[in-house]
Amino acid sequence: MSRILLSRLVDLAIVLFGVSIIVFLMIRLIPGDAVAIMLGANTEITPERMAELNSRVGLDRPIVEQYLRWAGAALRGDFGTSLWTGRPVATEILIHLWPTLELTFLSLLIGAVLAVPLGCWMAQTRGRSADVAMRIGAIAGLTIPSFWLGIVLILLFSAFAPGFSSLGYVPFSEDPLGNLQRMILPSVALALPILANLSRLVRSAMLDALGQDYVRTARAKGLSERRVVYKHALRNALIPFLTSVGIMTGYLLGGAIVVEQVFAIPGLGRLILGAIAERNYPLIQATILVVTAGFVLVNFLVDFLYIVVDPRVRA
Amino acid sequence: MFRSVLRGAIGAGFMMAAMASASAQVLEIGMDNGPTGLDPHLITAFPSFMVVNGNIYEGLTAIDKDLRVVPGLAESWNVSSDGKTYTFKLRSGVKFHDGSDMTAEDVVSTIRRVQSKDIASPLASRLSAIEAAKAVDPLTVELTLKEPSAPLLSSLATIAIVPSEVETNKDILQKAPVGTGPFKFQEWQPNGFILLAKNDAYWQKGTPKLAGLKFNIVPESATRQVGLVNGQYALLPNIDAATALQLKGKPNVKLGETLDLAYMLIGMNVSKPPFDNPKVREAVNYAINRQEIVDAALFGAGVPGGPLSPALKSWALDVKEFSCYKPDPAKAQALLKEAGVAMPVAVTMNVLPRQDVKDIAQVVQEQLNKAGFKVELKNQEQGQFIQDWRNSNFDLFASINAGSPDPDEYFYRTFRTGGSTNVFKYSNPEIDQLLDKARTLQDQAARKTAYDQVQKILACTGPVAHLTYGTLFSAMRDKLQGYEVMPNRSLVTLKNASY
Repeated sequence: MSRILLSRLVDLAIVLFGVSIIVFLMIRLIPGDAVAIMLGANTEITPERMAELNSRVGLDRPIVEQYLRWAGAALRGDFGTSLWTGRPVATEILIHLWPTLELTFLSLLIGAVLAVPLGCWMAQTRGRSADVAMRIGAIAGLTIPSFWLGIVLILLFSAFAPGFSSLGYVPFSEDPLGNLQRMILPSVALALPILANLSRLVRSAMLDALGQDYVRTARAKGLSERRVVYKHALRNALIPFLTSVGIMTGYLLGGAIVVEQVFAIPGLGRLILGAIAERNYPLIQATILVVTAGFVLVNFLVDFLYIVVDPRVRA
Repeated sequence: MFRSVLRGAIGAGFMMAAMASASAQVLEIGMDNGPTGLDPHLITAFPSFMVVNGNIYEGLTAIDKDLRVVPGLAESWNVSSDGKTYTFKLRSGVKFHDGSDMTAEDVVSTIRRVQSKDIASPLASRLSAIEAAKAVDPLTVELTLKEPSAPLLSSLATIAIVPSEVETNKDILQKAPVGTGPFKFQEWQPNGFILLAKNDAYWQKGTPKLAGLKFNIVPESATRQVGLVNGQYALLPNIDAATALQLKGKPNVKLGETLDLAYMLIGMNVSKPPFDNPKVREAVNYAINRQEIVDAALFGAGVPGGPLSPALKSWALDVKEFSCYKPDPAKAQALLKEAGVAMPVAVTMNVLPRQDVKDIAQVVQEQLNKAGFKVELKNQEQGQFIQDWRNSNFDLFASINAGSPDPDEYFYRTFRTGGSTNVFKYSNPEIDQLLDKARTLQDQAARKTAYDQVQKILACTGPVAHLTYGTLFSAMRDKLQGYEVMPNRSLVTLKNASY
């Protein structure tokens, strides 16, 4: 077990190192530098002012030196300061991380938790009209873009529940009710494709499992259908389900950018989007590293869960 | 028993709601972009300007809604007969948000700060005429100029007075601004909101009436609109015509409007063919039908305009004065033939990524193509657009620019040879001489004559085809009283607003 853990940690370090170099170089290849954007198209652009600003934000140094300085500081936990606001990058990321974590958690809760019984039921009623209807519904859920669903939900609620505050973000600790009110619609918008995807996955994995010999044995022993499905078949059907949940969590952690944009939620997605538009190099670098680390960690957790769910993996 | 408790609870609820609405409220504002910093001497973006200007910070002078210079933190001033010494009398009893008194020393240190190379303020050129600043006594400031400067008073309105302690500090005001304005900084959650609280010690008695301002950053236009309609936001300031049109007539929503100081433009690079030829630039102006642009791209909300906004009533010439503003594609083709360029004239137009600019660029493309051009549109990302703009890497570009209450502020840097935003590489000795002269004239009539001439020269053969000045709208809940839309997009009138 500890060997798996160690090798995973080494993987994590290698991935982060690679990503840090790629991100560092790539954002500097995007045309338009931070200083030019800072000055905009309406103000002074004397060469001296450009040079002063460049040296102030450290962009006048050779790129290798810039990387080494940044990476060295990052290893000590100092991600630098945002070029625009002058705030520590770590603080900005922490502020934006929380709404995204909450959104991720709620969307998964709605999507993944509902997907299991729904998928099982679809498998049990295979070929019947309920199954067909739900499969059509699942395809619709997969094809409807979350941002569109988000806008429709906002419009519906503003028309039929005008007092419902659906926009922006308030921390749960400040106003629990206000927080849930604001998070429910974006979570539903994000959860629908997750639900559609996972329920189809559970259905096919269940169908697979239900055809296995050990299920036939369980039935022959006279166990109830409910026990056969949930106790024996489901456990094996959960492996592909867990892999998908892992990937989706990574995607959600990266910031469900468009949904955050639609609902005006100050999450990681919007932080990255704004930082790229502003060429806010320290912020882009650190945010992408955090998201990458999150992605790798989630996959690491999923691998662990495999071991818990399926004893064969332990071997 | 249960019923009476319930009745009592409902009654108390209503009373509390009534009390809440009777007391001053924090005004919820919906903005498309957040500020990118709050140091008034470093910011360049509109969202930052809207948050800080007049709300957190104030200048020695101020601009009123007719774009005239009026007293700000200075209650009066004297100008010496040679126009080189300005003496400002400051208001007494003005306090910074940190509780300290605002004195002449703060004004002097502010001017040094803006001029300092170390701070690298983009506003430095606005104070380039000032040679020395001196505190005569705690409430009197004397500015000595290198030469008379007619736009100085207007420029001073854009220079926020900050406490002298921050003179050499480049970071602190970006995060935690300290000014003298009616609202003081309370909290900033990037991409979320910025919250300002009422300044109880504000020098203008009886204001502000609101308990505070909360600028919510809501990037999606549809979301902002829904937020206003369902009452979550009370004000969407400075919106475009398309959004205003969608909100018009919605229950409990009203629109405020004014003529915009900002203008749509087509920039031409005169450092390379074909736009190095004045005849080709004149042909562009003849090819453009400005009214058609207003109708098609601005939904009729705007006016065709020349080098100065019609909002600047005391400066702008009527467009009838410009012969080339009468659309005439045949004349444009004749001019191109005279210029000896191969037709159709193939050129590329860089387009700023804003919906209204994109719409206008398409209309202009069609109009120019009818008159002998072959225009290819290049839709760019903001950073790329600015980089090409700064490096003069364009044939044509379509954009929107902020105007200015004083003609010098805009003309000098844009059209003078070597001007700091003269990305067109335009050089005209006659314009140079007129602009040099006009900025030192003390006599308003003589200045006006000089700028009239500048406008006439620029209108037809200048490096910019000025297109339109749009109507600037703000949408608000009808309960919001006392807020007026300013042509320069400042939200300074919020200090008089109540909700």
